[in-house]
Amino acid sequence: MEFAFTPEQDALRAEVRQFITDNVTPEIVAELEDTGIRRRGPKTRDLYQQIAERGWIGISWPREYGGQDGSRIDQYIVEEEFARVGITVGGAGSGAPAILAAGSEEQKQEFLPGIIRGEISFALGFTEPQAGADLAGLQCRAVRDGDEYVINGQKMYTTAAHYATHIYLMARTDPDAPRHRGISIFLIPMDTPGITVRPLWTIQNNPPAPLGTTYGDARTNETFFENVRVPASCLLGEENQGWYVGAMGLNLDRVGASRYLISIQRDEDIVNWVKDNDIEGYAMREDPTVRDRLADMWIEGQVCRLMTMRSMSIVENDGAFTYEGSAEKVFAPEHGVRTTETIAQMLGPYGQLLNGSEDAIEDGVFAHNLMGAFQSGINHGSVQVMRDQVARRGLGMPRV
Amino acid sequence: MNVLPSEEELMVKNAAREFLDAECPSSLPRAIEQDERGYSVELWEKMASLGWFGISLPEEFGGGGLPVTYLGLILEECGRAIAPVPFHSTATAALAVVGHGSAEQKQAILPRVARGDLIMTWAVQEQDPRLRADAIQCRGEVDGDSLVINGIKHFVDNFAASELVVMAVRTAPPTDSSAGITLAIVPTNAAGISETRLTTLAKDSQSKISLDGVRIPLSSVIGEVSQGWPATSEMLDTGTALLCTQIIGAARKDAEMAIEYAKNRVAFGRPLAGFQSIQHLCADMTVWVDGAQLLTYEALWKLDAGLPYGVEVSQAKAFTNDKCQATVRSSQQIHGGIGFMMEFDLHLWYRRVTAWTMRLGTSFEHRARVARALLDQPGEVRLGMNLQPVA
Repeated sequence: MEFAFTPEQDALRAEVRQFITDNVTPEIVAELEDTGIRRRGPKTRDLYQQIAERGWIGISWPREYGGQDGSRIDQYIVEEEFARVGITVGGAGSGAPAILAAGSEEQKQEFLPGIIRGEISFALGFTEPQAGADLAGLQCRAVRDGDEYVINGQKMYTTAAHYATHIYLMARTDPDAPRHRGISIFLIPMDTPGITVRPLWTIQNNPPAPLGTTYGDARTNETFFENVRVPASCLLGEENQGWYVGAMGLNLDRVGASRYLISIQRDEDIVNWVKDNDIEGYAMREDPTVRDRLADMWIEGQVCRLMTMRSMSIVENDGAFTYEGSAEKVFAPEHGVRTTETIAQMLGPYGQLLNGSEDAIEDGVFAHNLMGAFQSGINHGSVQVMRDQVARRGLGMPRV
Repeated sequence: MNVLPSEEELMVKNAAREFLDAECPSSLPRAIEQDERGYSVELWEKMASLGWFGISLPEEFGGGGLPVTYLGLILEECGRAIAPVPFHSTATAALAVVGHGSAEQKQAILPRVARGDLIMTWAVQEQDPRLRADAIQCRGEVDGDSLVINGIKHFVDNFAASELVVMAVRTAPPTDSSAGITLAIVPTNAAGISETRLTTLAKDSQSKISLDGVRIPLSSVIGEVSQGWPATSEMLDTGTALLCTQIIGAARKDAEMAIEYAKNRVAFGRPLAGFQSIQHLCADMTVWVDGAQLLTYEALWKLDAGLPYGVEVSQAKAFTNDKCQATVRSSQQIHGGIGFMMEFDLHLWYRRVTAWTMRLGTSFEHRARVARALLDQPGEVRLGMNLQPVA
């Protein structure tokens, strides 16, 4: 075991931080706040180009597709530092892990360098009105017709669908096969005729959550497919193998820098705030109950960090998760909720004041987090489904 | 960064597990609960022959020279087997000698420990059991070439089995530059020592020690008179991290027994493991012990790396206390009635894990220490940073 980063990795982190200090200007921050975390305005797009030119995106991907053949830990470090200032890099949720694992040579050439340059981005088309945690019940149909597929159906919570270039779509290709065996994945340009996107606003909508709030995106979408014709080359992996292809991407999507930060940033925020701030002479940092609860949260935050590092260590050693990714996806989101609710009871009536309100603490980040933290226990596999997976894959218990 | 144990570490851990599976069936700790000596001489001797007691002692004193993480991995397996041997107390005391003892003390003590010829323990706590210098009232007075000790030491492990006890006593009032504590090596058979055995939940060996004019030579002092608090504090931290490994090993085994039981026990027409409520409880138990293990490994790794590790030890112990207690209680829940029958083994683990969580610092004490480090010194904090403990 080795619980430190290498000197080279420390140097990389310092370099990224310096880059952020030098280049993430107040104008860029304003643009990020204005457009939401993942949508990129013109200034942010320029910044992204600079980040890509430094080789900081897709570090662990093969050189032939624009990566560095580098370490997954290096990539994690870059992702974490940028995510801390509200900038998503490195392709979390991009579908890239699944393309790397299951894509054809043409698909890898088509997508990966473009993802790295920031020219291609994906919305995830998994969930449907009747298929959420029970994803294998999805009904969106893709029917083969010569060299094409014709797609009909509806996808829910397609966050980013209103600005992504592509959608990573899971659809049923064989309605007669057992549920998991009749599903395929498609990589489809969003400008294909027949696709329409309708906004769904989350409870974070108004007033807008401050930058860095857990699940700060106010907008998600539902996306409709009406006789959408796509070439058969859009298929990722084998037809009817989509469940297994998708699992590769999802496993990696559930762990890593953004999942970690979603769960722990409020731990750091509240400790640093309590250190330096009194409320009209009430020094919360001296209250024994507050101190005990803060320490408790901090320790759980460390567990989140170490579970993230465990997942990264497994990936870096080319291992496969048995249950570790799911374990992290149980502990970290629930920790985020415990922290958020503890902070609420610390701050009392100040804890309910939203962004822009008179007397809001830290732009209302803690209040907004009460509408966001629990989302992390729902999205990308609920904590109940994750517990099922720990029990089945990790402990060899039967499917109920 | 690779938080997974290396191949070499796993080899040692697996070898320890294989040995203890064969040599320490549950009948052994069960029998030792009724044994006056409080430990298995036979198991101790077999373990000595494998070189475990010296694994992390310096090679020049007959040890294996491996990092303390290796010792932790073996003690984790001892916890798993709830092996009735005074290994933890011996290792804790011996490492204090490694860290702060004189050349003569090291030469006299460490080779014997490495061979398994010397059982030791440590004594810091008193009737006020808080692990802080100002709770130490047991008096030491320098008299010529001697130190004379009067007072009480409480909750001392394996006293009857031990030949030497590394003891913290008060030799001066606290000042700004010194806590006034002296750490000294005291023979357990010294004139003026009397022992009262305690009856613990774990039914293992703890004692209350009364010292009445106990006289030892000044050469038995570790370091300087009245300058022993840093060494004492380090001994407590090392002992705490090592105790965490034992608790984790025992809690993991306890959880595995529940998981196995759930797969085999049929109720309402299916195995318990076919009920989601049971699956989720087992998933939580697994996640809890994993978390405790990661925190503990990080603390031990930092100790080996020469980094500040006191805060990490407190993180590990607070989390281990709460979550391993929850784990063994949940295991009792899954087992139902049979789990608390004397003839069934589960309680052997439950009672030990529960008792161990109360030793070497409660969750409250350790969280208070984490809070001091976070809140009572300047500077922005971030998870994963090296944080200095604040006394």
